[in-house]
Amino acid sequence: MTVVTNKADIKLALVVDDSAMQCKVLSVLLKEEGYRVFTANDGARGVAMYIKYQPDLVLMDINMPVMNGFDAAKKIKEISPNSLCPLIFITSLDSDQAFIDSIDAGGDGILVRPFSPQVFKAKIKSIQRISDLYSQIKKLQQEQQKDAELAEELMSGVIESRNYGLDKISIVKKPAALFSGDIQLTVLCPNGDINILLGDFTGHGLRSSIGAIPLSETFRAMTKKGFSLIDIINQVNAQLYDLLPIDLFLCATFVSISAHEKSAYLFNAGLPDAYIFDEQGSIKHQFSSTHPPLGVLPNLMTNSRLTIVPIDTEDRVVLISDGIIEAGNDMGELYGIERFEEAAIEGIIAKDLAHVLMENIDKFCAGKDQDDDISLIDIPCGGWQRQIEVTDKIETVSHNSLEAAYQTTSPDWQWSLKLVGKSLAAVNPVPMIMNQINEIEGAGEHWQNLYTILTELFVNALDHGVLKLSSTLKNSAEGFTQYFNEREKRLQSLEHGFIDISLNYFSLVEGGKVVITLKDSGEGFDSLKLFKNHSSTQKTEEMLSGRGIELVNQLSDTLEFKESGTLVEAVYIWQIKIN
Amino acid sequence: MAVKTYISDDNKHLSIQVDDRFDFSQHQHFRDAYNKFTEKGTLFTLDLSNTQYMDSSALGMILLLKDHAESIGGEIVISKPSDSVNKILEIAQFHRLMTIES
Repeated sequence: MTVVTNKADIKLALVVDDSAMQCKVLSVLLKEEGYRVFTANDGARGVAMYIKYQPDLVLMDINMPVMNGFDAAKKIKEISPNSLCPLIFITSLDSDQAFIDSIDAGGDGILVRPFSPQVFKAKIKSIQRISDLYSQIKKLQQEQQKDAELAEELMSGVIESRNYGLDKISIVKKPAALFSGDIQLTVLCPNGDINILLGDFTGHGLRSSIGAIPLSETFRAMTKKGFSLIDIINQVNAQLYDLLPIDLFLCATFVSISAHEKSAYLFNAGLPDAYIFDEQGSIKHQFSSTHPPLGVLPNLMTNSRLTIVPIDTEDRVVLISDGIIEAGNDMGELYGIERFEEAAIEGIIAKDLAHVLMENIDKFCAGKDQDDDISLIDIPCGGWQRQIEVTDKIETVSHNSLEAAYQTTSPDWQWSLKLVGKSLAAVNPVPMIMNQINEIEGAGEHWQNLYTILTELFVNALDHGVLKLSSTLKNSAEGFTQYFNEREKRLQSLEHGFIDISLNYFSLVEGGKVVITLKDSGEGFDSLKLFKNHSSTQKTEEMLSGRGIELVNQLSDTLEFKESGTLVEAVYIWQIKIN
Repeated sequence: MAVKTYISDDNKHLSIQVDDRFDFSQHQHFRDAYNKFTEKGTLFTLDLSNTQYMDSSALGMILLLKDHAESIGGEIVISKPSDSVNKILEIAQFHRLMTIES
């Protein structure tokens, strides 16, 4: 006889009793209730039958030969600890002890003989009702688990797999028993800076990951187009505000690390403090949350700005979500800030922060399940300097095309923009220009250098030309902060002044040429002196200021300051490599 | 029950107190506590003096209450948050969104 019938239609009951008479009586009653019944005459046989038939209900006598009812029940519960199958003891032992022992052995109830058929059937019905409820919950729980797994897969597989620089940045992500919406993104900017985000969406499971896809798309696309970090944060906030229901939002810390500026830009909206540690593990900077989580307000609060700090190459930026601080142990204690800082310092000295910290947390929690995701990003401040290819271009460009490059023909297209007064504070023209070029000429690797040239020239014209800031301020760490504060202040109150940008594009046989001209309203400077200073400084890369121009000088084919330094012209030529 | 409500005699002031843990498990109780109050200009006081723990879904629930209060021209005030709760409100910078009385 094949045993396993369609379980959805007919329920199976197993009766274990050494009295054939009792088995018969109970079988008849169960059959009347629509059960299909199997019987066993001792505990050991009962266990074997249970394994074979996986019944929906077990009725168990207590005193039986070979193996008694309690032992058989314990065995059965041991075999399938999460089984939905209720087990009821049937006995004539009418004592408190028998009742207690029944429950201790894993029984779900006890029926004391003698009982009427009506009482028996009522008992079976009630126990089956509870069992049905249990299986319903189990099903819901499984569905929820599936949703959570899907959310987790979406985050790690689809979204975070495109992260940049994972050989240097260490990312720890330990999802809670029920995935809780932590997200980690790292993206390379066109000028070689790195943008990093650690976020924590409210809620659990799939609900917490609704915002993840638009967030990662926006963060990546805007970073790659060269938008400034504050523009990106603004956009992310507006997007999440439109998209998410009121009680869903994103706590996040944003960081941009600029190796060539030797500075880090930070913004913390609703996460625990972010840190910058030095090589010895001392805390150099700590950044508290200064803004409500994103997606709560339609716009960022007025005066929202990034914090800018100078960094050394050996520094590390460390971001954490509240899951670390709130990790708990069985004693009801929380891991907390102090333990985190201690372990972080130890980890930095050991040069393996992520590992040391996670071990410490694991030890503290001692196996307790966590309610929230635990996540951390540890980013080195150095080692990001983009390799600039300063090949001798005269040699690589063939004679014919070189000649063509310097022939004064009319450009294929021209583009120009004049920003005056307040629009200088509000508009970053570089992404606009890059967009323009990408649309006309298509995407290409060589635009990265052009992006850097444009950014540096624009920042120079704005900071030193229009805003009249002295770059010598940036030579010290204190001056550095002062410089950016002053810049912000002057930018806010800017009424006059202009920058005129124009691009002339010439296509060549094996590449192209762009002539970039920037004219600013400033007083100009002694450009000759600037370069003389540079050549006299042995290690220019150690200077905090003036690096921009040095970089442009390396990247462009010619760089010329005119009209006493208020006009700059850079020529950028590239070749399409044909192998 | 962990969510208690007190209504002023003039029906213009509803005080909601959440004891012990303020997390997602209180979602329904918390909603039920204020949903029926649609009197124009009602002041909602959220008393968190007995709240030991609060998670981010509780922050979400507070935003829902704020939205409800504002939709009927009312206001929300958070009253006497305990130290641990205040820390969480501070990280989320909620004092910039609503009044928090210590």
